Amino acid sequence: MENRRRTFLKVLGGAAAAGVASQPLFRAFADPPAASDEFFVLIHASGGWDVTLSLDPRNERRGIIEPGSTDTIDTAPIRRWRNAPLDADSSTFEIYRPAGSSLRLGPAIGNLGDMPERLTIFNGLAMNTVSHADGTFFAATGRHLAGGKPIAASIDTMLANEFGRESLLPTVSVGYPSTYVGNELDARVSPLRVNSVDTLSKMLNRGNVNTTAVDRQAVTAMLTEEARDLAARSWYRDEIEGFGLQLAALPRMLSPDVQQIFNAAALAAAQPSFFPSPGLRFQNRAGVNCAFAVEAMKRNLVRCVSFASASHDTHAANYRSQPLIQQELFDTVAALVRALDAAPHPTLTGQRLSDHTHILLVSDFCRTPQINLTLGRDHYPNGSALVISPRFVGNTAFGRADDDQLLPVSAGMFADGDRPVAPPDVLATFVAAFGVNPRRYLRDGDVIRSLLRA
Amino acid sequence: MKTTLALALIFTLGCNSTPAAPTPAARADAGLSRPTEVVPTPVTAIPGHEVLAQDHAPKEPPRLMPAETLIRSYLALFGGLSPQALQVRLRGTTGDNLFDTWGDYLSALGVPDYAVDIPRAPQTNALMLAAFERIGVALCERAVQADLRGAVAVNDRVLFRFELPTPTRALTDEEFAARFDLLHRRILAYPAALAPDGRIARFRTLYRGAVERHADAGARAFNGPEAGWASVCEGLVRHPEFHLY
Repeated sequence: MENRRRTFLKVLGGAAAAGVASQPLFRAFADPPAASDEFFVLIHASGGWDVTLSLDPRNERRGIIEPGSTDTIDTAPIRRWRNAPLDADSSTFEIYRPAGSSLRLGPAIGNLGDMPERLTIFNGLAMNTVSHADGTFFAATGRHLAGGKPIAASIDTMLANEFGRESLLPTVSVGYPSTYVGNELDARVSPLRVNSVDTLSKMLNRGNVNTTAVDRQAVTAMLTEEARDLAARSWYRDEIEGFGLQLAALPRMLSPDVQQIFNAAALAAAQPSFFPSPGLRFQNRAGVNCAFAVEAMKRNLVRCVSFASASHDTHAANYRSQPLIQQELFDTVAALVRALDAAPHPTLTGQRLSDHTHILLVSDFCRTPQINLTLGRDHYPNGSALVISPRFVGNTAFGRADDDQLLPVSAGMFADGDRPVAPPDVLATFVAAFGVNPRRYLRDGDVIRSLLRA
Repeated sequence: MKTTLALALIFTLGCNSTPAAPTPAARADAGLSRPTEVVPTPVTAIPGHEVLAQDHAPKEPPRLMPAETLIRSYLALFGGLSPQALQVRLRGTTGDNLFDTWGDYLSALGVPDYAVDIPRAPQTNALMLAAFERIGVALCERAVQADLRGAVAVNDRVLFRFELPTPTRALTDEEFAARFDLLHRRILAYPAALAPDGRIARFRTLYRGAVERHADAGARAFNGPEAGWASVCEGLVRHPEFHLY
């Protein structure tokens, strides 16, 4: 009995010491200012991508792994495909090793392969699901669905809540699995969910056949005066004053300069690098969304742009296009990085947008290491994620999947023990990179400090 | 048995017998009189409450009308059609780009999407006001086309249930005020005379500005009075009092 009591006291003392020791960690997560100079692009590679062709390449038959080969893949449009022998009548690919980098990449990596110093890759993500809906929301919120419903805020909502409360558009979500769940969220940051950027264009578009912009501006000006008068007579002025200020901002929203960023044709003219010739076969919409992100951020109109790419769900013979779907997505992301390099920051003189823009790519899960009877790959509970951010150490791959079964293996010691890395860790590390305490939004997940720049 | 039935019959008859209501004379004889009426007493007349302050202040700030209520108001005010039928009417066939689909505006209007836990928008934002304008312009311009351009009897009109002078001439202040009051009652649900001072004059200025700008409009564009009433209508369906309560 005495022995048990002593053990209990020891544990209690240890816990208290650990609590005291952990205090500085949480002090480091002081609330950041509501207004911020950081921007975010969150991309969901929908449908579940085949990581063996890009972020976690496999080109050997080993265990249950059947690598992509000329038997199953249309290799002609894949620029980084270099044949490597597989068997007598088919070839697989050579692993791409960027010069001066330790990264190993697959041929579908596209133009992102030219910028390894900016890539932070998470491999061997324990997705623990093969359901599209579950994997999608797990990757974006860090929580599995409960009763078929998301139960936590998505990463874009978290970031908008921290940094976008004062933005004209805190989050524009184009098909991204955005959720608004939690007591700490500001009402202003509810994601603006649209099917396409063009949808916003429709809201700002005006016909000029019957009446003109001058007529509408006269109405807006009159209503602004009405709101001002009503506010002056009101006991509670804030709501009506806010209404009046938003009315006063309407001409800016409807100006041709702002309307351009919601128009696909105008975006293509402003950012031609996202629309190469010949045209993209799968990711044209991703190009529109990236062009929108750049133009909206240049004007400081939006804090987070999140969108879903074309589907990677290739169960059958359409698997032949899997590397092209990925290559087009990664090419688009590379074009985004270069466009951000070329764009000045809207509020920080002399700085580039790329110095303050942070990109996160996730997917539902990955695809099976085996080729199925219809020459495709099915769902598999492993995953990868990609971060491109000046706050992260580049040229890095963290975590891994095993050599024989492509299943997540231990990535090291976490607070809850030795285990593989998981989506909550990715999200916690991502928000912690900006001084946000992950526990404000995430129940699970450790911050992987080794991936963050000092 | 016979005795039992006879007793039951007597008992039943006894239960059904209703006593006659007493006459006023009988009531007076019985000492009954009409109860004294309670006279309302101001609270300040109650001893000890002579200087009691009464709080008439509103207890919570204006709230945003739920988007569903807003859409239902649009449907009711502009013809009582179903959402799909009103959409067809608003889109029109003339290619004047007034409306798309309700689905295109739901997110901006703040309609919740509980499938992904997107709550209703509790506050306005700039994009929401842009959507209000887009929808308001479509509703009012279509109402002008239907009511003022067509040969529709006044009582059969959707919104503009008043006559305009023929041949066309400028409205006097009184003529404008009477017509504006009809729209104000219909859209904001109370007489314009009860609105804050200056509202009628402000809308009259808006109306006259549009009339002047459209004095020499082409055949397709609205003429002066049409543009003027379209502007007045837009001013009312986009008014803060229409969206906040």
